Amino acid sequence: MISEREAAKYPFLNDAVTLVEALGLTLEDLMDPGHAKVLDRAERRVAQAIMKGEASPELGDTITELLSFPVGNMFVTAMGEQFLFRRYALSEAVRAQGLLKDETEERLAKIARLEFGWTLRLVDERLDGRLYRFELLFKDYLRNAAGFREPEWKIVNRLMRGGYVLLTRREVSRLLQEEIQRRIADLVSRRRQISLPGPLGVKVESLQKVFEENRSRLTGRDLPSELVTEAFPPCIRHAFEGLLAGKRLSHMERFGLTSFLINVGMDIDEIVNLFVSVTDFDEQFTRYQIEHIAGLRGSRTKYTPPTCSTFKTHSVCYNPERLCQHIKHPLHYYRIKVRDIQREQGLESGDEAPNTQTTK
Amino acid sequence: MAEQDWGSEQYVLEQFSRFYSTGAQHVEAPTEIKQREFGFLSFGGRTMFRHIGFEDTEELRRYLRNYSPAHSYFSGAYYEEPRAPMAEKGWIGADLIFDIDADHFYLPCQKIHDTWTCKTCGEAGKGHPPERCPGCGKATFTEENWLCENCLEAAKYEAQKLLDILIQDFGFQPSELTVNFSGNRGYHVHVRSPLAKGLDQLARREVVDYVLGIGIEAEYQGLTSRQVGGGSMLGRGGWRGRTIRALYDFIGKSTPEEIKALKLGRNTTRDLIEKKDEILSSLMNQHPSRIVRYIDKKSMGKLLDAAVDEQASAIDTVVTTDLRRLIRLPNTLHGKTGWLTQNVPMEDLPDYDPLTMAVAFKEGTEKVYIRRAPEINLQGEVYGPFEEETRELPLAVAMFLLCRKSARVVR
Repeated sequence: MISEREAAKYPFLNDAVTLVEALGLTLEDLMDPGHAKVLDRAERRVAQAIMKGEASPELGDTITELLSFPVGNMFVTAMGEQFLFRRYALSEAVRAQGLLKDETEERLAKIARLEFGWTLRLVDERLDGRLYRFELLFKDYLRNAAGFREPEWKIVNRLMRGGYVLLTRREVSRLLQEEIQRRIADLVSRRRQISLPGPLGVKVESLQKVFEENRSRLTGRDLPSELVTEAFPPCIRHAFEGLLAGKRLSHMERFGLTSFLINVGMDIDEIVNLFVSVTDFDEQFTRYQIEHIAGLRGSRTKYTPPTCSTFKTHSVCYNPERLCQHIKHPLHYYRIKVRDIQREQGLESGDEAPNTQTTK
Repeated sequence: MAEQDWGSEQYVLEQFSRFYSTGAQHVEAPTEIKQREFGFLSFGGRTMFRHIGFEDTEELRRYLRNYSPAHSYFSGAYYEEPRAPMAEKGWIGADLIFDIDADHFYLPCQKIHDTWTCKTCGEAGKGHPPERCPGCGKATFTEENWLCENCLEAAKYEAQKLLDILIQDFGFQPSELTVNFSGNRGYHVHVRSPLAKGLDQLARREVVDYVLGIGIEAEYQGLTSRQVGGGSMLGRGGWRGRTIRALYDFIGKSTPEEIKALKLGRNTTRDLIEKKDEILSSLMNQHPSRIVRYIDKKSMGKLLDAAVDEQASAIDTVVTTDLRRLIRLPNTLHGKTGWLTQNVPMEDLPDYDPLTMAVAFKEGTEKVYIRRAPEINLQGEVYGPFEEETRELPLAVAMFLLCRKSARVVR
């Protein structure tokens, strides 16, 4: 059985959940002033997620630390903000990672195997002056690392043999962070939105306010309503110019270009005309496809363009510039470039509204 | 004669039908047939018949005998309901599939048998079409791509490199891998393994990058300027060993002229020529970081790219990352060649020759009028080139030219 301290450190573990369940606390129990500390700590966990994206462990009072986790989850579920689900899960996972990296190899391996089903082996191998203590089956590795942007996480840059990838202790705890984040995101988003009574509801309301105050800072600025073609990243520019010259674009280029143009606010009719005028595509068919990507048909999902790494795989990435090294998404490039252009033009023409060029 | 008679479709359909009357018996069902989706293209029709499911092998064979499709496919994916519309199929998992197609390579023989014509100004040339037409600057071309034993050998070589990566690096068992000749210009490799089945799209993209060597960085291959301990990486597994072996081979076999042609940094070029033996001996006996002092960072990137290209396997990126891809069914006919899509046991691959083994229409002759075709080597004999002529040819050759729509039957 897990100790109270262990459970407080990693309250998302199955054993910790069992421990909490065994206490049999009800909502009424939690509203008792005797549990005020738990509610306060839960509120702090969520507030830390919103403000810093990282909860700090408070292990002085282990039972409060343990109990505040399910209460914090409840708050987040009650708030019903998709964006916060992810951010809270990340915040809690980062907290756990900070503790995990000081655990012994054996303890890490146990959590990885029993809680997350990893096929993981302990090894002792030195490579490039670094000590590798683990090897992990590639499918478990990819489930967690495939979304990472840093080149050292690509399997092509790892030592892999017979299906196993060599890892250091720190790297294993980083990958566990991903598993933990998924588990917590699943926990808070799985339940339907709930409304909480009494002091619990008061906490939720005050957290709601904190979230609203920070919403725009967290969810990013909107793109300008006018199209700024000079701010297109090189890949999109290349595809765009190719299309204008009548080149047959690959499926990925077409999808990337179309979804990019939709996301930066080009009019659907304009995009349809663009494709029909330079290719021999049928107008009705083209419109259907474009409206599908725009989320007006079918699954009603508005598609965003693929990430830079997807573009690299399918050789759509073209002549990457210096800015490309710092971003992982073509829209991110566009957002930064638009800001730069507006800033430059703002300097030239005083405080007037930026005179951005539009495509016509 | 009207344009649409090229290919004599009715005749080809009859031949396919005759083939399937006995040949369907040799078509084996993929594993878990009930969870697979099937798709077929008929002659003449442009639409794909998709979302088809079969209960057993006999039902599949009956379909082939009844309809004699021009092209037959099955899904790499497993579904709860393969006959349902895509959104309701219930994806369970998918084999990991690789497609190697000589069409995507740059080969000297393409300059001999492939042509392009600019749709706008009519300018024409050999090999792959250029990025932009040199005549008018537009980029819309019609292409005519043929194939020869060189293309097929090149595709086979890429397949062999792929198999090596899948077995050595990913640890798949040879029994989990199947290799099929595609029936046209390449090979398909299927991985049926519980480890592969559940991989999501992101993970499959990483697998693609691994096989193609996309994103390799010198620093993470031991080629770091930090002084680190450790021995030679030449015999190591994975890309580690592969990149270092590639560098070793590349530097070893390159003449001073070839090294100069790479346009590397001036000091690097000098060292690679004058201190070649020293560098090779370092790679052989010491940690790769020892050669970093001879080669500046930018040059290292270029050298590595060139070396990696030779070691990577040139797979199609879209097929592997598509979780719902349909892929050709072995022992069925390819409507653009009249050849078989054919399973090749891995141990037979080195000696496998599709131009004799995959020929389906082995007996008989047919009289055809050919508008134009380059030389083709089939069943050990060379035929053509042809230009506006009527010939009585072995059925295999006639069918190939008909399927390519370069000839029509003369009655």
